[in-house]
Amino acid sequence: MLVADEFFLIAHNDSRGKAKLHPSATGLGLAAGLLAELILFGQITVSGGLVTVIDRRPPADALAHTVLDQLIGESQHQAVRTWLAFLAQSSTTSVGERLARAGVLRRQENRRLLRTTVSYLPIDLNAAAWPATRLRALVERPEQPLVSDTTLLGLVAAAGLTREVLWSAGPRAHHRLSTLVGSLPAPLKELVVHTEAAVGAAVLRGIP
Amino acid sequence: MPPNPTVDRPSNVSDALARGRLGVPSVIFFVLSAAAPLTVVAGVVTTGYAVTGITGMPLAFLAVGAVLALFSVGYVAMARRVENAGAFYAYVSRGIGRPAGVGAAWVALIAYNALQVGLYGAIGAAAAPVLGTLFGVEPHWSVVALVAWALVAFLGLLRVDVNGLVLAVLLIAEIVVIVVFDLGQLSHPAGGSTSFAALAPANLLVPGAGALLVLAMTGFVGFESSVVFSEESKDPRRTVPLATYLSVAIIAGLYALSSWSMTVAVGPENISAAAGEQSIELIFNLAAAHLGDTAVTIGQALFMTSVLAAMISFHNTTARYAFALGRERVLPAAFGQTSPRTGAPRMASLAQSLLGLLVIVLYAVNGWDPVVQLFYYAGTGGGFGVLLLIATTSVAVIVYFARSDTSESLWKRAIAPALATVALAAVVAVAVANFATLLGVAPDSPLRWIIPGVYPVAALIGLLWGLVLRANRPDVYARIGRGAESAATSLFGPPVEQPVPVESRR
Repeated sequence: MLVADEFFLIAHNDSRGKAKLHPSATGLGLAAGLLAELILFGQITVSGGLVTVIDRRPPADALAHTVLDQLIGESQHQAVRTWLAFLAQSSTTSVGERLARAGVLRRQENRRLLRTTVSYLPIDLNAAAWPATRLRALVERPEQPLVSDTTLLGLVAAAGLTREVLWSAGPRAHHRLSTLVGSLPAPLKELVVHTEAAVGAAVLRGIP
Repeated sequence: MPPNPTVDRPSNVSDALARGRLGVPSVIFFVLSAAAPLTVVAGVVTTGYAVTGITGMPLAFLAVGAVLALFSVGYVAMARRVENAGAFYAYVSRGIGRPAGVGAAWVALIAYNALQVGLYGAIGAAAAPVLGTLFGVEPHWSVVALVAWALVAFLGLLRVDVNGLVLAVLLIAEIVVIVVFDLGQLSHPAGGSTSFAALAPANLLVPGAGALLVLAMTGFVGFESSVVFSEESKDPRRTVPLATYLSVAIIAGLYALSSWSMTVAVGPENISAAAGEQSIELIFNLAAAHLGDTAVTIGQALFMTSVLAAMISFHNTTARYAFALGRERVLPAAFGQTSPRTGAPRMASLAQSLLGLLVIVLYAVNGWDPVVQLFYYAGTGGGFGVLLLIATTSVAVIVYFARSDTSESLWKRAIAPALATVALAAVVAVAVANFATLLGVAPDSPLRWIIPGVYPVAALIGLLWGLVLRANRPDVYARIGRGAESAATSLFGPPVEQPVPVESRR
């Protein structure tokens, strides 16, 4: 499962598809997840606060392909923060749809009085709860996790979801988490800290 | 692909991000609703007349407005280059140095907390007539304050910033009520003729004028928040500066008019005694005589909502300050955490609420006067703290521009900030000299030194703490003043635009 997919499942309640994380942090976390996927595929890199496309061949995943096309098509915008803000506007929907296409979630429209909200319900509860469980186990095990998993851990922490994943873990797990995130390759580490800064800035701005 | 040189090419990214950007009116609305005009006119101005016994209030508002407009020239120019632009200590960190920044942050925490907590003293008096009309009961002020406290604490944790539309409607209603009351007062002058005595410059040259300047400054608190929207505004180079100047002008005009019209209706020689007797009720009693009961009821209801809105607004400002400091690790990191579901700065909000509760209980148990000793003392004390912050920030603006290459004009980067600094220093000097008048206590009262003395002590402790961080925790030291952006500090080392490393200057 891709980084943004797992982030989505962690950020939403496993049984009713309710959000565990407020919308702006969810959007930013998922946006970062989408960029992280492209970094992990070796198609873009992040350095000095800028996103650079290094491989323009289309990736296998349709959504990753779309994001890459946007990056290529609007090369006048390079700042990570710009792309995080832009992708955050649509990332909840686009990743939710991707999970629906993959048969993990089911799209459901809820009509309340004047507006229609969309939520994504898990088809298999165990599959939806798995990413959080898996991450918790990773932090508690001594082996070095995969780079993609460490990235996911970093984004979860940056968005303020650490407690959701490490709810029962002691201070050692929290310490290990920060050590792991510190060991990420430079572009991914930079993406993680920019996500943390963007989430914090959204809180400081105050207006929802 | 090389960057496309044509400007006209449509960009989905720019368009999407531009949607929902704020224009000048939105920023002004945000600033003014935090300033809570009716709270200032009905609460601060009347209590100020009562306590100080000086009639120069309208001029003080105009004078402080002019100084702040001058200060804003450099402030908004620097705001575009500062992370965490809504917080004065960020400017001090960048301009004067990080240890001074920590000192300023401590001062800001105290000042904004004082302004917020002080409002709990006003809500009882503000709600009493409304509750009396609705339910026929007039509960003890502390009961009302505790209910308001619970509401503020609850909304703070839910991160329900009061809906922008609701605020806008309340704000417009407040301004309409103020203007209508003013017209009512002006059309019923005491003794039959309109007196311009309160507008004579001589009123600002009396002993104790410093007190009025601090009071006026208290009325302006909130104008600094316009720069928070630098990134969300349609045109940062135009929207934010224009909104700032207009906000200052509107506040100055409205408060000067209101405080003058009060003296016209009561008579300049009677204003202090009348305000002393009737306190917050003064403008409503005047309105009852001129405009009838309906206008009074509307005014009283709006006064209550105005105080509530100001409480919520200051609570959120204070919580965000603590949150930013937590993100920088200057306060414990727990302050920088948010509630996942709501995104509220949980710990920071709880800490502010706890302080509010302690103060309410302290005043209720000791039977201290909520309006003068809580609302007025804490309000003016907080206002004085903000005055100190603004003066320090003004110095920081000059130093910052002197040390960096910039395309700003000489007026924006040097002349205006220098004039503002001189004026602000003068205001601080007379304010300190007149603090006893401001508080309405005897010149040898210890309060007269304790309240203004809190700030230099806090600033000194903060400064020392900043130096400790520099020696022992360079990673934290590098984050100071950067707010939420401090997360990215580890990547770049010192901020890119930092012209001279602070270390080499000391």
